[in-house]
Amino acid sequence: MILYDAHHLAPCYAVRLLAGLLGVPLTLAPMDVYPGHDDQTDAFLDLAPAGRLPVLIDGDRVLGDWQEILAHLALGHGPAWFPADKPALIGWLGLARDLGGSAGLARMIDTFGAAGDAAAARAEADRLLDHAERHLWFAERAGGQWLLPRPTPTIADVGCFVFIAPCEDGGLSLRDRPALRRWCDRVRFLPGFVAMSGVFPPMANTPR
Amino acid sequence: MSANDGGTFDAGARPDFWPDFWPGFSPGDWYAIAADHDVIPGHIYRTTLGGHDLAVWRTRDGTVQIWRDRCPHRGVRLSLGEVAGDELRCQYHAWRFARGGACTYIPAQPAMKVPGTIHAEVWPAAEAGGLIWSGIDPQGAPPALPAGTVVRALPVARPAAVVAEALAETDWPGLALVVQPADAQSAIVRGVATDGDCLAADRLLRALRRRIEQNGPEQNGGERGA
Repeated sequence: MILYDAHHLAPCYAVRLLAGLLGVPLTLAPMDVYPGHDDQTDAFLDLAPAGRLPVLIDGDRVLGDWQEILAHLALGHGPAWFPADKPALIGWLGLARDLGGSAGLARMIDTFGAAGDAAAARAEADRLLDHAERHLWFAERAGGQWLLPRPTPTIADVGCFVFIAPCEDGGLSLRDRPALRRWCDRVRFLPGFVAMSGVFPPMANTPR
Repeated sequence: MSANDGGTFDAGARPDFWPDFWPGFSPGDWYAIAADHDVIPGHIYRTTLGGHDLAVWRTRDGTVQIWRDRCPHRGVRLSLGEVAGDELRCQYHAWRFARGGACTYIPAQPAMKVPGTIHAEVWPAAEAGGLIWSGIDPQGAPPALPAGTVVRALPVARPAAVVAEALAETDWPGLALVVQPADAQSAIVRGVATDGDCLAADRLLRALRRRIEQNGPEQNGGERGA
């Protein structure tokens, strides 16, 4: 499988992260999004008319939506990550997408000079992060570890993590969101975890 | 940080490094800064008390360590590091610090006996009533709260004195609440529900936060979380 990828884009990171957690090898096709605008060339737009990254090529199939790619990888390599019989999965994937348009946008504005209203993005992100924090606090009190009440994580955890873990790069704060910080640690310590700029991997040689 | 109001504290006795105080943040008091369950094994919890960033973790036997959230080497937040057994390792250069704050190992100088002068800044720590308490120079024992279940902490983007005043205006049957002065612009409400109903307590506290933040100064630069 070939992944058209830009290292610093959270949706691309989500695919690399899930592939790492599933142990699925990807052939990365790095794209120079800025300043090269590789994602706006005729050749790329022929492949992916929406001009969005990431894009996954799996045989004859071309998948151009990052959450669709997460579902595709999970269905093929780890169905427990995609519990399609749980409506909450849709809810949390929706929250992940909304985080992309708020926390993710604030990070792109602050650290990569993207266009947009950073204050409005942060205000929306604060509301969403508050919601996730509250949900995870009560989940922990009930013995849970993940966004869905299951013993193992899902693609919703991956989808939210890629925006929440680096959110302080966008001027947001996890300081008063202790349940989110504990959940980030749980994701980071999963076998096969891969990092991104701004997201620390587990330190080497640490007894756990 | 706001200036000391000077009300209860003899400025003449203040050493050079003595921090600022303001209404709701006094040097001799204990403040709840976390719930017991916030500081799980292998995790470094992070908070702010009186404008001071703190990193909180537990050794293997469960003893709480409250340190200034700053590595004495290069100033990186220790809460970005990791717990390794009975030590905390800084993320930046992997210096290790043991119970009591002493630096035990510097990877770039493996043969060197680490000078005793290198240590994390240790803060007072106590556990009582399901909460973890700290302070600048706290006297006596932490406040005794009635038995109950620790509720979800609610950060409020207003000064501690404003939050305490709002709390005092209402009766809170079944709830015993205290205020953590986080920084000059924000505070965190903590406490216990004697009936164990954390969901009801959370509804009440979120409504309180909405009321407090509607009034008073516009949203300031203070951090605010869930």
